[in-house]
Amino acid sequence: MNQESVVRSWLRTFASCSSVLIAAACGAADSETAAAGPNPLFANDAWARAADSGASTAVYFMLENRGDAVDTLSGARSEDAEEAGIHISTQRDRMMHMTAVPALPVPPNDSVSFRPLGAHVMLMRVRRPLRDGDSVNVTLEFGSGRSLEVRAGVRQP
Amino acid sequence: MMSTRGLRLLLAALPLLIVAGCREPLRGIVFEDPEPAAALVFTDAEGKAFDLAAQKGAVVLVYFGYTHCPDVCPTTLSDWASAKRALGEDAERVRFVFVSVDPGRDSPELALAYARQFDASFVGVTGTAAELETLKTAWRIAAYPEGDPRTRNYTVAHPAHTYVVDTQGRLRVLYEPGVRGEELAEDIRKLL
Repeated sequence: MNQESVVRSWLRTFASCSSVLIAAACGAADSETAAAGPNPLFANDAWARAADSGASTAVYFMLENRGDAVDTLSGARSEDAEEAGIHISTQRDRMMHMTAVPALPVPPNDSVSFRPLGAHVMLMRVRRPLRDGDSVNVTLEFGSGRSLEVRAGVRQP
Repeated sequence: MMSTRGLRLLLAALPLLIVAGCREPLRGIVFEDPEPAAALVFTDAEGKAFDLAAQKGAVVLVYFGYTHCPDVCPTTLSDWASAKRALGEDAERVRFVFVSVDPGRDSPELALAYARQFDASFVGVTGTAAELETLKTAWRIAAYPEGDPRTRNYTVAHPAHTYVVDTQGRLRVLYEPGVRGEELAEDIRKLL
């Protein structure tokens, strides 16, 4: 093998490794964002209400879409709860109702507020006590294929 | 005919006249001719009886909810806890009672533990399906499962408001969910 072919071979190997290295370095982001480009979705000021083990509770945040296209929140999951879902509380005729929301649009360059007495991520049957100062992880899933990891501090307001 | 100056004076004094003519109103939905509250008698998980009729002299806050309620019920009970803190010593003459209307999942133990998450003094009770039906009729309220009650994930439609019974045992005010604890405390003081 002459010097030129050695260099070419090394460059091929480097190029091949680089793409693997870059993929590995960006793995976390790539696995969370099936859609192209950086994830334009952010969940700010996330918090969860304290709850006993086995109880249900809610996670609140400001969901922000900094992108130029609408995306749709389609689900939620959490390893800290047996089940999770998007719900909204509504009042009709002096009665409170809670409704599962299968798809919630998040407009481009806009935010959707998840707050008490409104939209929230419901955690059903949490697997451990959630106490003031703990944190809980929730994954939000979107129609675009993107997902968003949310770490919510637990509060007993 | 009233002069322009006289009219100006009257207009300037109008807010004062209105304030003087009215007592500070309570927030919420106020019953102008309050009637005696319906019966509310339960024994909690520790065998302690709660009888609303025996609470005369105290203001009693009642909420009909369920322990799997992740949003409105804990928001309300948190607001109660803030109100209790704001009341200081006056809270000794106030009772906070959470009644679960979900007999399918809630036991007296769960109801008590749930209420105590917010404050150790809160009462948490529930009853059998038959007892709760009697209660709902007496209080003219509704509560029913939404979704499939055979699953564990159904929700419960329940009254939105906090029911407040005054020191004479009369149903006096209903408060919207989301009323701030400090505002609630201010109103409770007016009723004590």
